[in-house]
Amino acid sequence: MRRQNAAGWLLHDVKNRGVTAWLLFAALTIFYILIYGYRGGAMEPIANVFHGLMGTTSSSPDQWAKTLIFFLPENLVDRWTLYGFLYSVAVCTGGGWVIWKYRHNRYQIVRTSVVIFVQVAFGFSIPHILKFFQQPDYYFSYFWPLKFEYFQPSYIASHPGWLVFYTFAGSLVLVPVMTVLFGKRWYCSWVCGCGGLANTFGEPWRHLSTKSSWSWKFEKVSIHTVLALSVVTTAMWIVPSLPGVNLVEGTTAYAVITWVRSAYALVVVTVLCGMAGTALYPIGGTRVWCRFACPMAAMIGLMQKFGRYRIRVKRDMCISCGMCSKYCEMGIDVRAYAQANFSFTRASCVGCGLCAEVCPRGVLRLENVSRKDPQELNMTALVDESWKGQHSSVGSRT
Amino acid sequence: MNIVIIGNGVAGITCAQVARQRDADARITVVSGETDYFFSRTALMYSYMDLMSRRDLEPMERSVYRKQRIDLVRDWVVDMDASASTVKLGSGSTLPYDKLVFAVGASPNMFPWKGADQIKDGKVHFVSMQDLDDCERLTKTSKQAVVVGGGLIGIELVECLLHHGVKTTFLIREPYYWPMALGREEADYVTEHMRHHGVDVRLEEEMTQIQVDAAGRVSGVVTNTGETLPCQMLGIAAGVKPNVERIKAFADAPELGRGIKVGPTLETNLPGVFACGDCAEIHYPGQERPLTELIWYSAKRQGALVGGNLFGDAAEYAPPLFFNSSKFFEVEYTTVGSVMDAPDNAPTLYRKLPGKYMSQRIVHDGERVIGFNMLGSRWNHEILERWIHERRSAEWVEKNLRSAQYDVEFGRAPLHKHDVQAMPLNKEWP
Ligand SMILES: Cc1cc2nc3c(=O)[nH]c(=O)nc-3n(C[C@H](O)[C@H](O)[C@H](O)COP(=O)(O)OP(=O)(O)OC[C@H]3O[C@@H](n4cnc5c(N)ncnc54)[C@H](O)[C@@H]3O)c2cc1C
Ligand code: SF4
Ligand code: SF4
Ligand code: SF4
Repeated sequence: MRRQNAAGWLLHDVKNRGVTAWLLFAALTIFYILIYGYRGGAMEPIANVFHGLMGTTSSSPDQWAKTLIFFLPENLVDRWTLYGFLYSVAVCTGGGWVIWKYRHNRYQIVRTSVVIFVQVAFGFSIPHILKFFQQPDYYFSYFWPLKFEYFQPSYIASHPGWLVFYTFAGSLVLVPVMTVLFGKRWYCSWVCGCGGLANTFGEPWRHLSTKSSWSWKFEKVSIHTVLALSVVTTAMWIVPSLPGVNLVEGTTAYAVITWVRSAYALVVVTVLCGMAGTALYPIGGTRVWCRFACPMAAMIGLMQKFGRYRIRVKRDMCISCGMCSKYCEMGIDVRAYAQANFSFTRASCVGCGLCAEVCPRGVLRLENVSRKDPQELNMTALVDESWKGQHSSVGSRT
Repeated sequence: MNIVIIGNGVAGITCAQVARQRDADARITVVSGETDYFFSRTALMYSYMDLMSRRDLEPMERSVYRKQRIDLVRDWVVDMDASASTVKLGSGSTLPYDKLVFAVGASPNMFPWKGADQIKDGKVHFVSMQDLDDCERLTKTSKQAVVVGGGLIGIELVECLLHHGVKTTFLIREPYYWPMALGREEADYVTEHMRHHGVDVRLEEEMTQIQVDAAGRVSGVVTNTGETLPCQMLGIAAGVKPNVERIKAFADAPELGRGIKVGPTLETNLPGVFACGDCAEIHYPGQERPLTELIWYSAKRQGALVGGNLFGDAAEYAPPLFFNSSKFFEVEYTTVGSVMDAPDNAPTLYRKLPGKYMSQRIVHDGERVIGFNMLGSRWNHEILERWIHERRSAEWVEKNLRSAQYDVEFGRAPLHKHDVQAMPLNKEWP
């Protein structure tokens, strides 16, 4: 039951898909359309509808940015600076709140501090400092396939050798090694800006993720589809520039390749990752993009399954209250594992640690260990298995 | 085979699921009057505090019942005919059975307090879904509340009321909070913690009379100190007992004691009729005192055992070494083995982190450890349990305590900063 006063109503409404949540969703969507509706971009016609109403133009957001961020040299500032700045403010204030809220939990304090630091330093300051010194504005905290263009030949050609080396070493060595050692959480809950925003500013909406077994099935298909698409699209950038390959304008091959490349950029990079991921917070929870579509998550999720990370379950201590499932932003039905006494590693788990935090009986613990646990691959198996042949003591498979 | 299970709590539903595993063809019907679907009683407080919706309390998707072909009937069982092997429902219809399982749970204790018979509204318990309905309805029109009974359900109810801004007095009859489980030292700082949250905790204070207004709504309670505490809501959380009231009125019924009497295989005196969970009173041959366990995992284990015994397993129920966990506002609590049921003046090592609500109590008998009471940090009860089975000495355990810690990463409780004190177990109560 919600609290009785007006604040109680508002809090409940905005956190539980009420009117205010939908309004916030609409506001965020319009904000994203204006930001992404730059001159010549695919979003421009939609943005112009709003500009028409406001009497502004698709280049106005760049002007707004220069006015609002007056403390930086004008030539450094455009709409993306404004976006990065607001993003950082959201991560800092949300992060401060999260640290206060979970001040008794050192994992949350350390993790959130790192998330704030990475956003402010690598997500905002360093790129602008580089730009100031007329260097390419490089984001050290992103890797392929999340930062899709990092593997594009034109991008590689236009960047200094040491950055190209960092790009490849980061994506192909650092990411897999860290993921096998610590699980995908090292990235999704400690470094990545998307995860950073979700776990700070997004805190009030984390419980909105759907936990249905249907969504689990859907997620497995959708996220690996996007991963496959990202690999295919990357190949479509690399192959044409290989020596001996000659792609002629006007041929069908040329048309298909350019269409796929721009479709991926529009649908996956701009709409799903850039806009929907955040705009959907008040409606679908904080990790819609991360859970259903992020190719990086798909890739390191598979690595996580072979790595050391797991969530450990204490035998028979779970009272099936469901707090863990409710507050899992990735929609994992943690309770289904806990009440069946299964320690587990789910590919989608981002290791935010909130299930362990909210569990009133201290059942769950995030760990890096070398041993493997049996894994149930779907909900029916999980429910069936949990009661099988356990007559004298319900499940002691920990 | 036709199996009828009365009660859709964790015992009843676990029993149904195990039975389905054993026999793909059996007809399995679960009857319950409280809710349509199994829900987690232990999470009532989270729904009350708006941390979860009612639907979130259901531990399984509803499709599970369809997939496992477990028929759910929403009704009360009001009578039973053992010779005809039927039970009668509130709607008047009858259900035939080959095997019958009582998993009817527990119901709250109520004592004949002066004035209790005048109450028309304002009194709540905190056990059933209907209790939660009552609580939520009354919270809207309550400024002050009194909660009677210093146990786990009491403190949960108090926390909820406080969350909703209701000024709450917690009447505890004993000299300190929950002497059944806690030592005085721990209870003292749990009380301090409650007071810090704004609870008006009264120790050694009992309700002697309940006052009602003209409409019959609770308006205040008088305590044994003579004080009158005005309140619009009165929470009674003075323990629970096996839920056998309804069964007493049955024409035929299994033999009843405090609960439903069963033997070690959880079968009642009526062949083919079983009982499990909170309602079962288990009699072991040669043991004077029967066993009644009112805990979640016991209900689950007993339900699973009956699920097999329906098919002639004749497996005997053996309770595990006792363990449990709970939470007093923010203070987490893990217990294993014998603590307050240890012999009087049993030696203990009491470790306390100065200035924090954190302590560990290691109970031993001079030679080996027999129990643990850990507050304020997380512990792996599986390891503590093993140490008891391994008959480890208190010194050994103290030295190795670290390896049983279960705190979050980076958050390990600083055991080396604790003060250690050897003291006898002080059982002023009962
Ligand atoms: C607020 C609260 C917090 C708790 N917290 C904890 C905890 O932290 N840890 C722990 O271990 N335990 C806890 N418990 C105890 C735990 O919930 C019980 O041990 C457990 O639910 C028992 O399950 P059961 O299946 O035996 O009975 P129940 O869950 O009580 O289910 C019995 C069902 O049968 C129905 N029924 C009864 N009679 C009839 C009839 N004649 N016809 C039809 N239906 C009938 C009842 O309405 C009920 O739905 C808590 C209990 C409460 C109330
Ligand atoms: S899932 Fe993708 S976007 Fe989300 S935190 Fe992980 S890498 Fe970042
Ligand atoms: S399972 Fe736990 S750690 Fe993993 S994403 Fe869900 S809440 Fe976070
Ligand atoms: S929060 Fe803890 S006790 Fe509740 S269902 Fe999850 S693991 Fe079990």
